[in-house]
Amino acid sequence: MALRDENGHYESQFEYPLWKLIKQIADKKDISYSKASEEAILEYGKGIRYRDEAYYKAEVDKRNKEIIESRQRQGL
Amino acid sequence: MSAEKLTDKVVETDVLVVGGGIAGCPAAYKAAEKGLKVTLAEKSNTSRSGSAGQGIDHFSGTFPRGMTPADFQNQIKGVSRYEGQDGIDPNIRYELHAARDWTISELEKMGVPMRWDDGKFMVIDVAFHGGWPVIHVHWQNVKPIMAKAVREKGVNILERTMIVDLLTNNGRVVGATAINTRSGEFSIIKAKAVILATAKCSRVFEGENPLFWKYKYNYHWCPASVSGDGWAMAYRAGAEVASLEQSGRASRMRDDKTLSWGNFRGWGIESKSLNWKGEEGASGVMMGRRSGQSAAPQPGMNEPRYNTLEHLPEDFKKRIEVAYVDERMVSFIISQQRGFDFRKAWFELQTENRPMQLHEPCGVYVGADFQSRLKGLYAIGDTIYGVHNVALCAANGFIIGERLPEILRNTPDPVLDIGQVEALKQAAMAPTQVKDGTDPVELECAIRYACTRYVGGQKAEGKLREGIRRLGSLRREFLPKLDGYNPHYLMRSLEVRNLMDISELHMQASLERKESRLSHNRLDYPNPDPALDKMILVQRLENGKPVIEFRKLPELDMSLKPDPSWC
Repeated sequence: MALRDENGHYESQFEYPLWKLIKQIADKKDISYSKASEEAILEYGKGIRYRDEAYYKAEVDKRNKEIIESRQRQGL
Repeated sequence: MSAEKLTDKVVETDVLVVGGGIAGCPAAYKAAEKGLKVTLAEKSNTSRSGSAGQGIDHFSGTFPRGMTPADFQNQIKGVSRYEGQDGIDPNIRYELHAARDWTISELEKMGVPMRWDDGKFMVIDVAFHGGWPVIHVHWQNVKPIMAKAVREKGVNILERTMIVDLLTNNGRVVGATAINTRSGEFSIIKAKAVILATAKCSRVFEGENPLFWKYKYNYHWCPASVSGDGWAMAYRAGAEVASLEQSGRASRMRDDKTLSWGNFRGWGIESKSLNWKGEEGASGVMMGRRSGQSAAPQPGMNEPRYNTLEHLPEDFKKRIEVAYVDERMVSFIISQQRGFDFRKAWFELQTENRPMQLHEPCGVYVGADFQSRLKGLYAIGDTIYGVHNVALCAANGFIIGERLPEILRNTPDPVLDIGQVEALKQAAMAPTQVKDGTDPVELECAIRYACTRYVGGQKAEGKLREGIRRLGSLRREFLPKLDGYNPHYLMRSLEVRNLMDISELHMQASLERKESRLSHNRLDYPNPDPALDKMILVQRLENGKPVIEFRKLPELDMSLKPDPSWC
C-alpha cells in the first residue's frame, strides 16, 4: 500500500515518467506538449509489452483468479 | 423587410451541420466530399471543442464485416443495456454498428490515426462499452486533425458560433439563427437541411462531483459546452425528444483527482476495491462489467470505500499513463501537480446514487433515416436518443454525409418566414437589453439544484411536482432577467434558456413514466410495468402546447442487409 503523509494525504511531488519525456521533447524541439506527446508515446510504448499476448493474458488471468479467491474467502 | 436588414450576416448553404465534434466533423467532411456546399457551426473552437477536445484513447467495438441482423442480435446477447433494446430503434443501432469497418477506413482517409506505429490495430477483447472488443487509439490530437480535414474539404467553418433557434416554414426546416460568442453578431444561416450534432446534455444536475468516467478537467461545469442546445432548439421548433426521463446515474470518485475511468478500464484488468482498513472487497465496482450497473454498497464494503490500481504490474501502469495522455493530457498534468499518483493512490468512491447527466437513452427522436419529425431536420451521434460513443457517432456522421446528396436532390430552396426571423432575433438578443439582471450562472445553479433535489436518483410524484413548480417559478421570475452583458454571457444566457427547457422536459417525463426502468427509478413505482416494455416516452410541442406520449419501438428487421457501400 502506498504511504500517505502525516496528514493522511498523498501530496508528494512527483513526475510521471511519460510527462518527463513529453517535456524533454517539447523543450528540445520547441513544439507544443500535445504535439510532443505524439512522439513521446511512441517512444514510451517501446518499453511496453503491447504485442505480447501471452503476457497480457497471463496477467489478466492472474488478477481474475485473485478476484475469485477473494470473493470466495468473503463468501460473496 | 428582408432578412439582410434584420441580421448582421446571412449565410446560404446546402447543409448546416450544428456542432463540430466526432459526429459533426465526419458529416461535414463527407457531405463536402460529395460536392455539397456545407457550413459547420461550432459554439467553441472545432480544433478542441467538446468531450473529444482533450483526445480519446479507445474506439470501442468492432464487428465482422457484413454482419447480419442475426449476427448482431447474437453479439449483443448478455449486454444488459442493449439486449432489452429498450432505448432505441434497433434498426438504427444495427445500421450504425454494421458500418464500423467502413467508418474506420473513412477515418483513416480523413487522416485520423487508427493503427499503431507497427501498422496494426491495437485490439483488446475486454468487457468494455458493452462487451465487445476495443481498438486503442492515440487520439490526443483527433480534433485538430478532424478540423483540418474538414477545412481542407472546403467546408465553411463558423467558429464561436452558437446556433440559437431553427427556422421553419410550412413544416420544413429552412435554416437557423446564430450568434457569434465573441462579437455578439446575430446571423441567419439558410440551409436545405440542418444536421444536429450537439451531443447530449450534461448540465442539469449539480456538478460538484464530475462524472468519473470522463470529462476529467477538474472544473465543476463539465463538459462546458454540452448544454442540450440541439435538443432544446429541436423541441422548440416542433421536433420530438425521447426518453428524457432517463437520468444517468452511477457511483463516482468522491475525491476526484482527474483520472478518467476509461483510461485504465479499457486495458481489461480489474482494480482492487478496498474498505477503510485496506481489506479487499468485491472488485470491479469501478471497472468491468459490473460497474455502472449498480451503485449499491456490497457486503462488508460500507463507506468510506476505495479503489486502487497499486497492484497492477508496471507494464499496465505504463499503458494507463499512455492512455491518460491520449485521452486527457490536461488531467494527467493536473493530477501530477496535485501530487496524486494513480500508480499508488487510493480513489475514494461515492456510492450515493445520484444523477449526473441526461445520457445515453435521451435525445432527439429520429426515424431510421435520421430525420426528425420536422422535414429537413436530421440528428446524428449522441444527439439521438439511445446512441452514445465515439464509434457510433463517427459512423453516423459518415452515413448521413454519404446520403445527403440523395436527400437534397428534390429539396426546394429554403424560403424564410421573415416574421419568424424577427421574433427569434428578438428572443435571442433579449438578454443584451437587460441591465443589472440575473447572472446566467446563478440561474443555472438554481436549475441544477432543483433537478438534483427534486428529481434525484430516486424519484417520487410529490418531489417531481414540487420540482416542476419550482422550475416554473424560476422561469417566470428569472429567465426574462438573464443578463447577456457581453457576447460570452449572451451565449451563457441562451444556454441557460435551453437548460430550463430540458430540465422541465426531464421532470415532466419523469412524472409520466410510472414505473422503474433502466436509469429511471421511481420510489412510488419501484418495478417495471410490462405494459411499457419497449415503449419510449416522446415529447413535442404542438401548436405551442406540450404533448407527451408513449410510443412502441419497432422490432429489428431481420431482412436488413448491410449497405453494400460499406461492406
